[in-house]
Amino acid sequence: MSDRVRQQSAVGALLLLCTLPPVRLSAQSVDQLALRLASMTAVTGLEQAMTDSLLAMLPGSTRDRAGNVTLTLGQGAPKRLLQCPLDEVGYVVGDITGDGYLLLRRVGARTTYPLFDQQLEGHRVTVFGARGAVPGVVAVKSVHLTRGRTGPGAPDPVFTVDNAYVDVGAATAAEARALGIDVLAPVSLAKRPLSYGDRLLAAPGAGRRAACAALIAAVAAKPRSKGTVVIALTVQSLYTGNAGLASLNALLGPFAETKTVALPTRYTDTAVETVALADVDKLVREMVQWVEGR
Amino acid sequence: MKAYGRMGGWAVGLAAVVLLSASPSVRLSAQDSARISEAQAVLAPLIESYGVSSAEGPVRETVKRLLPAWAKSETDTAGNLWVRLGQGTPLVVFVAHMDEIGFRVTAVRDDGSLELEPRGGFLASLFEGQPALVHTDKGDVAGVFVPRDSGFTHHTPPPLRVDVGATSRAGAIARGVSPGATVTMPKQYVRLAGTRATGRSLDDRVGDAAQILALRHLDRAALKHQVIFIWSVREEIGLEGAGVAAAALGTAPRRVHAIDTFVSADSPLELPNFAVAPIGAGAVARALDNSSVTPPAYVDSLLRLARAHGVALQVGTTNGGNDGSMFTLYGVVDVALGWPLRYSHSPVEVIDLKDVASLADLVRAIAESW
Repeated sequence: MSDRVRQQSAVGALLLLCTLPPVRLSAQSVDQLALRLASMTAVTGLEQAMTDSLLAMLPGSTRDRAGNVTLTLGQGAPKRLLQCPLDEVGYVVGDITGDGYLLLRRVGARTTYPLFDQQLEGHRVTVFGARGAVPGVVAVKSVHLTRGRTGPGAPDPVFTVDNAYVDVGAATAAEARALGIDVLAPVSLAKRPLSYGDRLLAAPGAGRRAACAALIAAVAAKPRSKGTVVIALTVQSLYTGNAGLASLNALLGPFAETKTVALPTRYTDTAVETVALADVDKLVREMVQWVEGR
Repeated sequence: MKAYGRMGGWAVGLAAVVLLSASPSVRLSAQDSARISEAQAVLAPLIESYGVSSAEGPVRETVKRLLPAWAKSETDTAGNLWVRLGQGTPLVVFVAHMDEIGFRVTAVRDDGSLELEPRGGFLASLFEGQPALVHTDKGDVAGVFVPRDSGFTHHTPPPLRVDVGATSRAGAIARGVSPGATVTMPKQYVRLAGTRATGRSLDDRVGDAAQILALRHLDRAALKHQVIFIWSVREEIGLEGAGVAAAALGTAPRRVHAIDTFVSADSPLELPNFAVAPIGAGAVARALDNSSVTPPAYVDSLLRLARAHGVALQVGTTNGGNDGSMFTLYGVVDVALGWPLRYSHSPVEVIDLKDVASLADLVRAIAESW
């Protein structure tokens, strides 16, 4: 692996969100910020670790009752909302078997990729336990032991979350629990964002995270707000009725206008969802103009 | 370990597993933390070297770097790496393969995407929609394995392609990509709980590591005969490197020890009717697979040797072929050895480092005392 690729992969290997140093936006490119946000995990409804990091990135921001991170720019009318959903479809531990495997339950249903769960099979995951991030793998049949037991025309069913056994190296349920893992611990694919081509970024949920990076970069540009603009990185967008945004409207609304930040993506909802960072540059400029009412 | 496309029916159902390690009198020699640390220090850089069949150069360089300073290595015309030591007969050979499964670029399309052919046997679904690395003469080029856009009711994807972010054939070629380049996905050695670890290409980098560890600890003065250690090429596509080495040695060796994966059924997804060797319970005598059978008298002798040296050893049967079988064509007895592995030929193969150290101890004991 080249040094360049190794560097890019190394960023993705940073799984311990809370141990990351604060971001200095003045010295940080949007590319780096997008890469960093894409390496974070925020299973819908369980976003606190990521919002802790976002609070540190956005001086003056606060977390509301629902968990949204908000920052108010300017004052007076009109009162407008600029929001970016930060959460993702993921999993929680549903049970632990006697021989130490974790069983999963999917959290959040809005995914456009029919093989979303199949992406787990035979890949690394991170379990966010009470004692920190724990690496694990999702079991897959050994190809050597499959041979001779299948043949042409044999059933070829897709992998579902019901087939997922997460192996964290524990041999008993007690060993798994000793790692800080219990029912409801969030689980996601191991995040290893990859830069390729001409400023393309690939990662699970890359589009959302790059859009949130653009939002943060726009705030860092210190635009002169026309009236009041509430900047919000919202939670639970993938859960019942977009509860994060609904709460925001109930707590801080009404808003004369709401703009949701989004970017076009390729390979949407896959582990290599791809966004063009050139589009992020453009989005930053657009948001600055929107905040300034231009 | 080569994944055979067709499994011999006679292999199914045999489940002769002897768990010597279950005996409380046999201590796992690998339980010492220093041994685990050394095993990991040798294994991790091997895992993080890339070497699809026929492109094993980076792995060969890593092996050479990890060998003890006294070891004089040579590379044959096929690309196999040899280390010879000791004098006299009988000649004993150890062989572990350096190559890993992956792809080779067969064509660059007009839209800049790369067409691929698999090198070795594996589930293509494990690469679909994942990061990719194209290994070129100019260095590694990052990309993605393109996820399918239809056929969502099947587990198996259509033939995979790679997108390196180019929009034309000329754009892809400008990045250094051309037919013949090998393709993998980024990989990393990762420690799991206890003494377990995961990564891609543990098959057969554990075998490579065990041979290196054995050489590091070997008492050369104790050798009673010549021993040759070989790190072979192109095992996953037909035991090709071993075939070259076997032809070169002919009938000279008395025994060959293929040091390769014992694919274990130690998983909730596998049938437990054979290949039942738990990870963490020690090395495994791979007494019967799809390519060779070890004569029972040799298995018995090996068990006595392991017991005498306090090495945990399991005995079992699993699927797949091994490099040693190429030597049997010259009358050489293949006493294949391995370690238990979960989730073979996947990006997340899992081992227990205790088994790596146990295997290295066994290789050393065989070289010195058998």
